[in-house]
Amino acid sequence: MAVRWVRSALGAVAVLALATFVLGPLLWLAAHAFATSWTFPNLLPDGWTLHWWEEVFADAQLFSSVRLSLAFALTTIVVSSVLCLPAAYAFGRFDFPGRRTLLIGLFATNAFPKTGLFVSLAALFYAFDLMTTFTGVVIVHVLGTVVFMTWIPAAAFAAVPRSLEEAARDAGAGPARVFRSVTLPMALPGILVAVIMSFLASFDEAQGTYLVGAPVFYTMPTEMYSLVLNYPRQVAAVFSILLSIPSVALLLLVRRHIMGGQLAEGFQIR
Amino acid sequence: MAAPPLLLVTVFVAFPIVVAVAYSLGHVGGLNATIASIAREQHTVDAWWQQTFAAYGDVFADERFLRDLGTTVLVTLVTTVAVVLLAWVIALYLRMSDSIPAKVLSALAVVPMFIPVVIASWAILTFYAGDGFVRTIVQAFGGDAPTLGYTVVCITIGMVWTQLPFATLMIVSGVQGVPQPLIEAAADAGASFGRIVRSVIAPMALVPTVIAATFTAIGTLGAFTVPYFTGPNAPTMLGVEMAGYFTSFNLPQQAIVMAVVVFVIAAGFGALYVWANFRQAQDAGRV
Repeated sequence: MAVRWVRSALGAVAVLALATFVLGPLLWLAAHAFATSWTFPNLLPDGWTLHWWEEVFADAQLFSSVRLSLAFALTTIVVSSVLCLPAAYAFGRFDFPGRRTLLIGLFATNAFPKTGLFVSLAALFYAFDLMTTFTGVVIVHVLGTVVFMTWIPAAAFAAVPRSLEEAARDAGAGPARVFRSVTLPMALPGILVAVIMSFLASFDEAQGTYLVGAPVFYTMPTEMYSLVLNYPRQVAAVFSILLSIPSVALLLLVRRHIMGGQLAEGFQIR
Repeated sequence: MAAPPLLLVTVFVAFPIVVAVAYSLGHVGGLNATIASIAREQHTVDAWWQQTFAAYGDVFADERFLRDLGTTVLVTLVTTVAVVLLAWVIALYLRMSDSIPAKVLSALAVVPMFIPVVIASWAILTFYAGDGFVRTIVQAFGGDAPTLGYTVVCITIGMVWTQLPFATLMIVSGVQGVPQPLIEAAADAGASFGRIVRSVIAPMALVPTVIAATFTAIGTLGAFTVPYFTGPNAPTMLGVEMAGYFTSFNLPQQAIVMAVVVFVIAAGFGALYVWANFRQAQDAGRV
């Protein structure tokens, strides 16, 4: 009895500690979005207000950055899907020579620090006339999604039992039908996880977007950099909440698949 | 079918990296001409077969760089160890108990994956700042907590925060994959909990652990946003320092040298990852 009591007390303490560590900063920042001002060391703000929300919604520049971020993220997942999903299928289903090396090569490119990459990427973009263009920013965003979009769906395609496909073929289904009715639905959770991860990666990208897109394209994360420096803290807090909404909505959507191991499976090369 | 992403990565990542490395060795022609025409304190060579390590000499003679390098490696090691330990505790708890706290813990650990890093960094800074939550709470109980905002400790906290979800997912999945009969057999034979973890679970979850550690280390080494927001001006991490060398000091060659140094360290961790995957394939009899 005593042991069980100690155990559940320990569990509660662990939950409280991790909740403070993970959620604490987010809630603390979120509270600032509704505060008139906050004097240290008071536990509560000096007053509550929605004034900062009005200020953000009245600012056309901030609002356009929201739209732009969504446009980039959606374009990125479409382009990345078209480029990477067929490759993921090939990596998942065929054992061609150099397959593993290529998969690791895709990842190895991630190990070079982004800052160093962007410095020389800039030269290439000037040569191709991609600086301050929509295409240029999309390329930077797509680069950040290649590993997710190839590895995770590849594992998902590889995990589809061949016997099911053979059964469908025996029942008279053509290759296209087998893919549409058996392979694709079974690999869909993995693809969905990859798409969401890519969306988030694009939504989050600031450094490359700023380098390539400024001063024409300001997305939400790049806007956040200047907000933090030039506006009252409460405005940044409001903006943070807005910027988190799509991510959190997507989290709720795919939570089951990500916790269920789709993502972990994708990062073990077979 | 595998060609499009490979081509994309070759043209826009691998090729620029090669060009960048060439620039760090003194080659200022071709694509490097634009940068080279405005850079200060540049070391150049006259022909394609020559190279100079003078820029590397510059950087390694710079005490500021050495301090940043030390900071970067230290933050990376501490973050990696902390993240892997935390993920293991959560994974074992979840494996041994089906209770609500165990499930809540594993769900909490994944939350940071869905918060944009810019926001996370800013939130963490305000949480640990001089007028932040930590100091407010301690003050309410009559104590006085140190200000962690703009310190290397705050960078490390931020890195652990952002890296925790991936490692947790990998390690939880590895630990859950250990077959229950194996654990029960060991328990029946009289093995203690520690012994079961050491001799049964740990060896079987080794590969996911190495993968988690590698990704955490590589992600931390090249980090920019977290140290930029939460860290001090000096010493800072190399991801921030190289951006400063490029934009503020106008020393792109030295910035690239730093990128190459980080890349070499990251490649060391990457080799571990490749080894772990190879070993797993060997165990499964695929090689």
